[in-house]
Amino acid sequence: MIKTEKILHLKSYRGKKVRVVREHYLREQVPCYSLLCQADCDNDGKVLPGDLSHYVVPDVGVVVDYLEILEFRELRGVVFTQTACQALQHSKGRRQYNRLRNLLKDPRHDCVLFVNEFQEHSYCPREKGESQEQWHTRCVYSAAVWYYNHLAGMMDVVMITEDQDAVVRYGALNPGVYVMTDFLQVLRPELQAAHELYGSVSQALREKESEGSQREFAEHLPAEVLEAGIKSGRYVQGTLNINKHHNEGVVTTEGLSNKDADLSCGVLVCGGKNRNRATHGDVVVVELLPRSEWRGKVTALAEGQGEESESKPMATGRVVGILQRNWRDFVVTFPPRDGTQSQSRNSQRILAVPWDHRIPKIRISTQHADALQDHRVVVRIDSWESTSLYPNGHSVRVLGRAGEPGVTWWLVSVCVCSQLREMPVNSPERPWRVDPAQAAARRDLRESHLVFSIDPRGCEDVDDTLSVRSLAGGTLLELGVHIADVTHFVTEGSLTDLEARLRATTYYLADRRYDMLPAVLSADLCSLLGGVDRYAMSVMWQLDAHTLTVRDVWFGRTLIRSSYQLHYELAQALLDGEPAEVPELTQLGCEEKDAKLAELSQALETLTHVARHLRAQRDQGGALELEGVEVRAQLDEEKNITALVPRQPLEVHETVAECMIYANHWVARKIQEAFPHQALLRRHPPPRQEFFIQLAESATAKGFTIDTRTNKALADSLDRAVDPQDPLVNRLLRMMATTAMSQAVYFSTGLQSQDQYYHYGLALDRYTHFTSPIRRYADMVVHRLLAAALNAEQGVGPGTAVASNRELEELARHINQKNRAAQEAQKLSTVLFQCLYFKERDPQTDPCCTADAIIYSIKKDGLLVFVPQYGVKGPVYLKNREGLVVAVGQDGSCEWQSGSIRRHSDHITTSCGCGTSTFRLFNHITVRISVHSTSCHADSVKLEVVGNKPHYSAEPQQPHPQGRSQLVQEVVRLAEEANQQALEKKARRPKLSREEREFSQSKTPNLYSLLEEVRELALLDREPAAQNADPGHKR
Amino acid sequence: MAGLELLSDQGYRIDGRKATELRKVQARMGVFAQADGSAYLEQGNTKALAVVYGPHEMRGSRSRTRHDRAVINCQYSMATFSTAERKRRPHGDRKSTEMSLHLKQTFEAAIMTQLYPRSQIDIYVKILQSDGGNYSVCVNAATLAVIDAGIPMRDYVCACTVGFVDESPLADLCYAEESGGVSSLALALLPRSGQIALLQMDARLHQDNLDSMIEAAMTACKGVSKVLDEVVRQHLQEVSVLSRE
Repeated sequence: MIKTEKILHLKSYRGKKVRVVREHYLREQVPCYSLLCQADCDNDGKVLPGDLSHYVVPDVGVVVDYLEILEFRELRGVVFTQTACQALQHSKGRRQYNRLRNLLKDPRHDCVLFVNEFQEHSYCPREKGESQEQWHTRCVYSAAVWYYNHLAGMMDVVMITEDQDAVVRYGALNPGVYVMTDFLQVLRPELQAAHELYGSVSQALREKESEGSQREFAEHLPAEVLEAGIKSGRYVQGTLNINKHHNEGVVTTEGLSNKDADLSCGVLVCGGKNRNRATHGDVVVVELLPRSEWRGKVTALAEGQGEESESKPMATGRVVGILQRNWRDFVVTFPPRDGTQSQSRNSQRILAVPWDHRIPKIRISTQHADALQDHRVVVRIDSWESTSLYPNGHSVRVLGRAGEPGVTWWLVSVCVCSQLREMPVNSPERPWRVDPAQAAARRDLRESHLVFSIDPRGCEDVDDTLSVRSLAGGTLLELGVHIADVTHFVTEGSLTDLEARLRATTYYLADRRYDMLPAVLSADLCSLLGGVDRYAMSVMWQLDAHTLTVRDVWFGRTLIRSSYQLHYELAQALLDGEPAEVPELTQLGCEEKDAKLAELSQALETLTHVARHLRAQRDQGGALELEGVEVRAQLDEEKNITALVPRQPLEVHETVAECMIYANHWVARKIQEAFPHQALLRRHPPPRQEFFIQLAESATAKGFTIDTRTNKALADSLDRAVDPQDPLVNRLLRMMATTAMSQAVYFSTGLQSQDQYYHYGLALDRYTHFTSPIRRYADMVVHRLLAAALNAEQGVGPGTAVASNRELEELARHINQKNRAAQEAQKLSTVLFQCLYFKERDPQTDPCCTADAIIYSIKKDGLLVFVPQYGVKGPVYLKNREGLVVAVGQDGSCEWQSGSIRRHSDHITTSCGCGTSTFRLFNHITVRISVHSTSCHADSVKLEVVGNKPHYSAEPQQPHPQGRSQLVQEVVRLAEEANQQALEKKARRPKLSREEREFSQSKTPNLYSLLEEVRELALLDREPAAQNADPGHKR
Repeated sequence: MAGLELLSDQGYRIDGRKATELRKVQARMGVFAQADGSAYLEQGNTKALAVVYGPHEMRGSRSRTRHDRAVINCQYSMATFSTAERKRRPHGDRKSTEMSLHLKQTFEAAIMTQLYPRSQIDIYVKILQSDGGNYSVCVNAATLAVIDAGIPMRDYVCACTVGFVDESPLADLCYAEESGGVSSLALALLPRSGQIALLQMDARLHQDNLDSMIEAAMTACKGVSKVLDEVVRQHLQEVSVLSRE
């Protein structure tokens, strides 16, 4: 190694110039990562192929400005220089740099990094008086020359640059090294997409240079000032969330340890000036305004209602800097050219309207302005200067004309996540057989266990099966959860694995899904279908048959054959003892059939019994039953929507979910113990108390008190808050509690202290996802961890963790992000289906469009209502833009009249000439549903009040078929829970005082309380769905 | 922190070294004639001068005299021009007092003090240019100076710092790395016996990683000892050639 010195002039923290001398070591051997290498370079990892016509070495300017183009996979043999990487890191920040790093790591991408500055012959020190750009260009050129010489002239090297001087200067120096500017046109004319992207990027760059200098926004403060300000407490750091309906944003601060109570519910940022170019989701730094300027959140539904319609003032601030942009791909619509926009000045700049209301209009420079009219386009934001009202962007891909079928689907997917490319199927279709070696290594459960699966009807990707049997003469129960062994087929680092990691989850939309794994795996080889041999990863517990305590637990790889592939409705029917047709048994004779059926029903019953016990156990700990809106669209053959069906909760759902939660919990314990610092778990942080305010207020209106201090207290008070007249009240309260919850997230155990592992919703100290590896990548990671833990235990194979703590945390973050995107997509798709459903119907005449709604929140000029029949939530205006208010006639019908409106804490009154009318919280009203469509944004469902009486649909509500049996189950469950409670009490305080023993009532359920419960439940039509914030099982 | 990447994906550090590579070490012995022993040592851009007087009679307070062994007196100081910004460094500030104490402990473990009862050995070390790893450079320079003075030692004392970045230990940190928020550890080793003379760490580090850190530090120290050994042998050769003439 040769030691040289590099002299840098840096600014010290006081602003003085300091001369810093750094060592710089050069070496002879720097790997070139090329197959053609003659000098025995130490090339491990990704290697450039030798069969290309040339290698491409992009210049610093090209890497900084056109990285997106270099991301095209068609561009092969790209050599990034260290000089360019460092320049990118300096000028574009960490985000872009990480993008480049990922590019370099991605094995599908033909590019490598050459560490040119540490190579003895390619390093050139900066000369006196040489500008930085010149120096960079010289460095890159000398790296290109080195490559050419190193490969002994066998490969031409093309250096691409945007700098004409460089071409003149270096163009003719070396015969094998070409320097050119218009690389794409000359060498790769066939890459149409790359050309378009190139055009749009370069146009955006040119526009940026010719920007005006009129200042529209205050400049952002430099990073050091922000950092110092945050530390000293002058500024507040947080994530900006922009309200969907109003022009205001709330910065939620991270970490609960806010000393200042004012900041606990976030900082309000009103108006575009104060928001100062921040967009939704950015991590921003805000400065608080003086207290006299603090304002409240807008409580009115409509915009522009004036100042007086505000809640109590909260901390208000303005954005002074942005730490991290949340710029991703946005879908925009180019407006039709009808002269409303003043485009005459510069016809090439167009303000495109994003699909998401929260994103400002984006200025796009394009030469195809005419061609793009009315099209939906994916764009990226490049910059937002303080001199400009709108951000500048460039178009990436044209999706299609607005309103075209199919385009809307793209919208849903692109908006929330990155591209959903269809995956290449890389496993060849061949008759698959069980490998004898594998069969020997695995525990064979094909003969010994009755294995079955319960899934939604028509499910293809069966990733969990169950088994239960009694052992040792009935004193022991063996419960087994068998999960598809996906990681056996998908080895780490393979292409399928990478693609799965990229997708992270399967997207379930209202009528379709986007798979994480290729269909060969997800629907066939991995899927635990009935009647075929499959590999599985199993967890088996030996439980005491009476007390159901765990005696022993076994984890391992198994070979199973699922005997029955049931669906929920069928399983429920079997449980209830109703006649049901099991498809697997139709061929059998009558007697045999009965025997098999009895066996299956017996297994299901035992399973339900165990699940009830487990549930009761968790309820003791304070597990929550929450409520979400879920609707499934029923489609006919022509893909028309025939109905919107809310999900029917069955007990068997809960049974399966409970088993899965149990398996997840035990696996979490196992891997956490094996890898204390590198296990992937899932935690659900407790919610912030402020979010419960609305819930508590609403509950008070009905006379309930909600205790939100712990999850146990919350669960109990939610159980108590039942209105015997109206089962929906409880459902709504649970729904509100659900919205108050924070999101459960994956994390690596090394980064959190042990008390942070807690899962609030499920009331478990450790939890992870293990049971759905076909549709979640996190489960695959957990499978690998479990396998590694088992290997370590047996002393075979490498017992090391799959990934280091840091890698795992990075992965967890990625998966969390993707999961959020998937949830968002699910929500959007539901909304879309609701819109499509009502779009085809005439709101005035169709009876479907008039429905019963229940008020769950009161706003200044309207109500927020929930329509249980369709699962629609939305605002209802009681005052329109002309100032008219809704007046209720004698018969309950409503019409618009001029009048005034007054809001109280639990009701709202409108008064006009013919009297006043009142809407109370949790009242039922009748609404008409129509669709409000716009050209640029998504269609939205509009609700209008028709009458203030409950709406009764024409057909009488059919009695619930399982009502009776479910009632019985419910009572049994409650009894079980009470039993458990008593047992626990006994265990905790074995010695009661004599008085207590004599005079206190027993806690075990007596006949009276049982009857009481039956009476209470009889009043309810049916118990709301037992759905958790974090269901362990698919819907 | 805008984030210097201390260890790149390719395994290079900011100055082009790999994780286990030391900085370039250059040294000279016997730079001053008046002192009993002296040495000058460069480790990268950190440069130190060490001077040894003694063993001689106790000076100053005689009460510190030990009847069974020699007393070692160390003094560490930094030149005003040793850093990028010139700064007056008064004697006896906390940092240099601490460093002196550490040096003293290190050399008490290495020098065979029982051979010189009732006497005193003075070691003065000055940092001329500071670029990270001051302690270890001082120890290495002082070792050479003690050898130059002809004072018997159990073994060379070699020291090296190790930092912990991205789950891997980096040997011999430079200033940019030290100030980048790395938890670092300084270790002084008697390489032949593998005994640790001093181990110092004042940052947080997970217990699991400590072993790998110490392992890396010991390897690095052994590397240093090889260089020092070479320097000593070369110096001896030069001196013997001179004296023969």
